[in-house]
Amino acid sequence: MSAARTETRELYRRSRSEQVGVFLRGDWWRILLLGLFLVGGIAPLVMAFLISLKTIPQFARQPFALTFPLHWENYGFAFEIVLEFIKNSMIVSGVTVIGVLLLASLSAYAFGILEFPARQVLFYLVLSLMMVPSAMTLIPSFVLVKDLGLMNTYWAMILPWIASGQVFAMFILRTFFESLPKELFDAARIDGASEWQGYWRIALPLSKSMLGVAAILNILGTWNNLIWPYLTIQKQALLPLTPGLWAYQTEYFTRYGLTMAGLLLGSIPLVILFVFTSRWFVAGLTSGAIKV
Amino acid sequence: MAVKEMPALPETAVQAADVQERRKPLGKRIYEGRVAYTMLAPTFVFLIVFMYYPALLGLYRSVYKWAPGLSADFVGLGNFVQLFTKDRVFLNSMDHMLQLAAWYVVSTVGVSLFIAVLIHRLRGGRAQYTFRLGMILPVVIPAIVPLMLWKFIYDVKVGPLNAILIWAGLEEWTRAWLSDPNVALYAVMLRNFPWVDGVAILILLAGLQAIPYEIVESAMIDGASEMRRFWSIELPLIAGQIKLISVLTIMWGVQEFTAVFAMTQGGPINSTMVPGMWMFFNAFRINKMGYASAIGVVLFLLTLVLTLINMKYITTEEY
Repeated sequence: MSAARTETRELYRRSRSEQVGVFLRGDWWRILLLGLFLVGGIAPLVMAFLISLKTIPQFARQPFALTFPLHWENYGFAFEIVLEFIKNSMIVSGVTVIGVLLLASLSAYAFGILEFPARQVLFYLVLSLMMVPSAMTLIPSFVLVKDLGLMNTYWAMILPWIASGQVFAMFILRTFFESLPKELFDAARIDGASEWQGYWRIALPLSKSMLGVAAILNILGTWNNLIWPYLTIQKQALLPLTPGLWAYQTEYFTRYGLTMAGLLLGSIPLVILFVFTSRWFVAGLTSGAIKV
Repeated sequence: MAVKEMPALPETAVQAADVQERRKPLGKRIYEGRVAYTMLAPTFVFLIVFMYYPALLGLYRSVYKWAPGLSADFVGLGNFVQLFTKDRVFLNSMDHMLQLAAWYVVSTVGVSLFIAVLIHRLRGGRAQYTFRLGMILPVVIPAIVPLMLWKFIYDVKVGPLNAILIWAGLEEWTRAWLSDPNVALYAVMLRNFPWVDGVAILILLAGLQAIPYEIVESAMIDGASEMRRFWSIELPLIAGQIKLISVLTIMWGVQEFTAVFAMTQGGPINSTMVPGMWMFFNAFRINKMGYASAIGVVLFLLTLVLTLINMKYITTEEY
């Protein structure tokens, strides 16, 4: 028992010394270069943090270095406003992603597992939508949403985003469903399961991680949309985070401490999401590369 | 107990079953597909209302002089003729878009490739993991935040860029980066220095790691240098990933106007105008919806051409 432990410890010690050896064997300049890239990327955020703790006179005197006392109350002020935006974003992106997953998984099941006349034609009809840029549908969608009386409601964002978001989600789910062994579904059918049960009890439970990937991609897309909410939502109380931060920054532009505090607070929700779902995140971001 | 393989149905039997399936009357086959159609129904309802209808309406409206609430006048291809012959702002915006897209491709591919190779050459597994994570993390910062921060960095009075230039004794270099028509486009272009793109890095890194080690090893044994290893082995083997990133970036660069919208709104004096922004301006600021729709159609055709070129000439490998 203890022998095994010494062995493990020895292995660990060796791997540690290998880590140190890395520097000796000429990796140090790579690490230095990569470190510079990281620092360069993070520098604006550090700057934002330093400024976020300043009052206006403090900023005027010494804009970039740390000044005392630190004014954490900037965060309190920003929090009250940004919290509202975050709440709106969570509702809108949350409802959208549920709708997207539901519709996309159903249609992916139909396209990937079932046989029916006109399957190819219908599939290409959806496929062709990948080529329509959002710029082309922007104006008619706006007029449509206005005519439907949805302006200044959450639905103005949710419904069009479900429609556009489900296309890509359907592609990755369909590819995944097609890779599942057909025998699973045949066996269920022989046992008298309906297709709905096949969908709900076999396909969905097996594709949890793919659903996660599709969900993350969809949330990133809706969370970062600036133009559409800016067009359809005039009520400040309903603004989601991205246009909200934009409006907030315009409103408090010269009060830099408050602006920076707001921008940093607004970044937190996705960071938390990332912490809990980093595996799906990484898979999802590279799946943007899946050739359709 | 050994599980015996089930004898496969003879070819002809499968074909017979297939033919039997096909011989069923169409009505019956459609009826049997009712579950599938039910499953597809919600998707298509959404697509028809919020995708097909707006897309077709966009095409239709692009040949009208149209403002909401007013009667629409049919002008044929007049909008397009005006766009390409009389509208200097639009033509300049196309030029700006090309410059931006070209830069996005160069910076994304160049920087990401450099970083990916650096990470790939790291010997410590933990260091590799750490840097990979470090590069992908910024993706979760909402896109608007860096845009706003860079708007501040470029600020003429309080921005750190000018402060750094003054500190370095280069006072004559300072300027109003985003409100000087001569440099505003480049300021927008060069934002987000040092242009780390986590997604592109992940894709390239995955490509590098998929190269069988034997190939690299045999080259090393033959005495290939580090540079030679990169140019002659790694670069050709990840050409697929590089093409893929280029294509995705170009497609995105053609439509993208969020950065311009958030930083300059196309100004000063249209020096950062891009087609998407010009469309937005025409539609929602001066109410020329038909004209704006025509710009949308031009963007659509551009995307279509790029897609066709991509499918025909650039065969991206399955990732």
